[in-house]
Amino acid sequence: MERVLEIIGALRKAGPELFRVETPVPQAYAAVDPDHLRVELAAGAAAQLVVLHMKAEVTRLDVELADGAQFDLTEIFLGETFAEIALKQEARSCCRVTTVSLTSANASYRIDLNGRGATNELNGVFLATGKDHCVVRLHTAHNVPDCTSASCVKGVADDEAVGEFSGLVYVAPDAQQTDARQQSRNVLLGERARIETMPQLEIYADDVKCSHGATVGQMDSDAILYMRQRGLSEAQARALQIEGFVGDIVRRCGVESLGEALMQLATEKLER
Amino acid sequence: MENNMLSVKNLHATVEGKEILRGINLEVKAGEVHAIMGPNGSGKSTLASVLAGNEKFTVTEGSVEFLGHDLLSMSIEDRARLGLFLGFQYPVEIPGVTMANFMKLAVNEQRKYRGEEPLSAAEFLRLMKEKSAVVELSSKLTARAVNEGFSGGEKKKNEIFQMAMLDPKLAILDETDSGLDIDALRIVATGVTKLHTAENATVVITHYQRLLDYIVPDVVHVLYKGRIIYTGDKTLALKLEREGYDWLINEYDR
Amino acid sequence: MAENEKEILENLGEQEYKYGFTSAIETETLGKGLSEEVVRQISAKKGEPDWMTQRRVAAYRHWLTLEPPTWAHLRIPQIDFQDIIYYAAPKARKTLGSMDEVDPELKRTFDRLGIPLEEQMALAGVAVDAVMDSVSVKTTFKETLAEKGIIFCSISEALRDHPDLVKKYLGSVVPYTDNFYAALNAAVFSDGSFCYIPKGVRCPMELSTYFRINAAGTGQFERTLIVADEGAYVSYLEGCTAPQRDENQLHAAVVEIVVERDAEVKYSTVQNWYPGDKEGRGGIYNFVTKRGLCRENARLSWTQVETGSAITWKYPSCILAGDNSVGEFYSVAMTNNYQQADTGTKMIHIGRNTRSRIVSKGISAGQSENSYRGLVRVAKGAEHARNYSQCDSLLIGDKCGAHTFPVIDSRNRTAVVEHEATTSKISDDQLFYCNQRGLSTEDAVGLIVNGYAREVLAKLPMEFAVEAQKLLALQLEGTVG
Repeated sequence: MERVLEIIGALRKAGPELFRVETPVPQAYAAVDPDHLRVELAAGAAAQLVVLHMKAEVTRLDVELADGAQFDLTEIFLGETFAEIALKQEARSCCRVTTVSLTSANASYRIDLNGRGATNELNGVFLATGKDHCVVRLHTAHNVPDCTSASCVKGVADDEAVGEFSGLVYVAPDAQQTDARQQSRNVLLGERARIETMPQLEIYADDVKCSHGATVGQMDSDAILYMRQRGLSEAQARALQIEGFVGDIVRRCGVESLGEALMQLATEKLER
Repeated sequence: MENNMLSVKNLHATVEGKEILRGINLEVKAGEVHAIMGPNGSGKSTLASVLAGNEKFTVTEGSVEFLGHDLLSMSIEDRARLGLFLGFQYPVEIPGVTMANFMKLAVNEQRKYRGEEPLSAAEFLRLMKEKSAVVELSSKLTARAVNEGFSGGEKKKNEIFQMAMLDPKLAILDETDSGLDIDALRIVATGVTKLHTAENATVVITHYQRLLDYIVPDVVHVLYKGRIIYTGDKTLALKLEREGYDWLINEYDR
Repeated sequence: MAENEKEILENLGEQEYKYGFTSAIETETLGKGLSEEVVRQISAKKGEPDWMTQRRVAAYRHWLTLEPPTWAHLRIPQIDFQDIIYYAAPKARKTLGSMDEVDPELKRTFDRLGIPLEEQMALAGVAVDAVMDSVSVKTTFKETLAEKGIIFCSISEALRDHPDLVKKYLGSVVPYTDNFYAALNAAVFSDGSFCYIPKGVRCPMELSTYFRINAAGTGQFERTLIVADEGAYVSYLEGCTAPQRDENQLHAAVVEIVVERDAEVKYSTVQNWYPGDKEGRGGIYNFVTKRGLCRENARLSWTQVETGSAITWKYPSCILAGDNSVGEFYSVAMTNNYQQADTGTKMIHIGRNTRSRIVSKGISAGQSENSYRGLVRVAKGAEHARNYSQCDSLLIGDKCGAHTFPVIDSRNRTAVVEHEATTSKISDDQLFYCNQRGLSTEDAVGLIVNGYAREVLAKLPMEFAVEAQKLLALQLEGTVG
């Protein structure tokens, strides 16, 4: 935990109310428990932002990306925050979102691709243990042609925890050449845990590539056996496997070394 | 008898109520190479799985002693830490878990079991580099997730690489030659031969003589219907290659 | 076409169908509107036992407390439930002298579908005595079934002849409390089919050849109850590939299936009710509740080809209560012009080692809306439950909508649930390729669509599958090029 705070504390502060970027040279910023933060990236601007949620409160983030802007957003939920995030993207803007929930947070993303050639990539992880109830909602609207979106949300529910994902890909009439992919991958670890996933497609244009997939399952027991044959204990094998499952996304977290620190935090949570 | 590494006595095992092993007797001494051959479904892979401790199988009778320990009472991982290595016929893919991470844990668990200090990162990397040369495993593969997206040949090379890393007392290689082209076969077999010493032993389970051209066995066993029905020297493998199993099976079934 | 059709529709009911299978044709009709009194009268007219009357009344009272469901991706015009006649004679048809009098458009459709002449006549309402003695067909059929102890009759007959069986099973899978339309059906259902396969009996024939003619005249609140007792097997075919005309706009049927231990039921549907005209006027509202209950080692397979109706609201479901039971859902839903379909399935895993498989193929053309809606629920005790769902959408044209709304709710960590969905279109390259090999665009579209739907069509009984294939091609005419 300290390591995460330390890394984030060392970054430039964004906000508290408006975070506006004009420069095309990306720099890393951070915001901790913003109340309502507006983010504006001017045409061609680039920035990296880490938002840390520690408090059980309602928070709102509005992001507007002008033509060709590039934005890398990492959101970390360590508190039971109720967060609404609205992203509006103009032509050729590019947004990469990474969201990691390590507690009962409720995160709703609304992504509007309003300009041709806009791309959005969202990767998320939630780890629900104990009596956690993690919720990730995602609404990706392809309002104009030629946009690309890809999302992958991985969930783990242990003990008596509940994990909920709902994702909608909306393709407006005439939003031809849309390329939209959505994946929801979940693992149930606890005997009394529960996963509910709703990946949805609503499509009104025909020349599109849209797909979604969802899985709820358990970790591969053959892999556990394999690792034990090489001398790992069952607990070690399981931990390694879960780390392998969510690690690619957690490690993606924008700023260098933050990913590792978070992974450490995630592993500790699972071992508790 | 005291230099026996592995001593299997009257081993019976079932899976889902069906008896697959019906009284196996096998003695392996340090420095030896044994080959276990036999037609499909004779119980070869089951024997390997039971020795490694796969919980899918139930041992109903018999005993196994390994380096003075009652093997059957040990967990899978303790058997491995003690020095029993199983080369899987179908190595398992473990998404997202890198080879380096996996091997580091495995090597250090073994060291801990033996009461040794864990390797430092530098020592470990040196070991990885040294051992990957044994089977000409590309360093690119060691940076990837365990077996994920590996070709059939790469997976088998990876098994031998892990064997080199863990330096087992007894290696049981289950159909390590299956699905390999001739070059990969040579590399894998040469790797196994290089790792063989007077202190360790190897049991090779195979269908074909061709692997035994590289790994010359001291003893060849024929397994059929859950029993070892014939034991001979390396010439037996050649005879089997020429004449098949029928002459043995017919005699046994009669 | 529209004019002729209207004429035919208007003429329907003018004359009774000479060779109707129902023994007595009621000509009496209750007036429009629904009240507890109407429900009691329906029951009285049908001579039902008291417990049945009580059930209808209870269902009616419950229905009063409900609102029509609005969660589906459908635009449903306001339905005036007081403007419907809830009890009328089975739909009578005008008897035509010969095939020459049949609407040529309808005839063309029959020919394209390759429906045998005898059936064409029966369906179009031509007197068929010279060609096919339907009564004797029915008799032979009944004898064969009776030998095996199979009961296959109307629900009314079953209530009279096998009241204990009906009492035991009716409403046991779809209780009247289930939903708005199921409650309505339970209160006012006109008639329907009852089928009972005794222990260990394999029904020797698909319950279809005779039935599909008979079914053409079933009313708007149809009730079907199928019971396969322990170790029994039956394949049941509902509907007909020929276009079915019915002036009743609202159809709220209920199908209940009980699959006892080790039994297997295959239920296949081809739904081709009137979809409305090209401008979206008229057409049937098809709001159906279909559900089966599987006991230990039982297997229930739903296969549906849905091409008709203006609005379809239908989710054939499986309750996998028994250990090792298996549920399957194979669906092709095609919408064209202004049709709307919201269809899918529910797989409720309760028993251990229960397995389910969902294959849904949606095809949207014109200005239509086509949605897949599915629920896979794994209860806490459903150890090692397994589900695989594949939901594909094919869009033809850029004015239609194709949607996928699956829900997965898993509460058992040993369960594995997988869902995949894709969307695609018929590419210009594919059409060009087919054209270059000499196929017309229409044939090419038919070919591609049939290839797309093949996995589902293959689950239909042979003859049905051939007709369904032709039906799809027919419904697609004029959508491309």
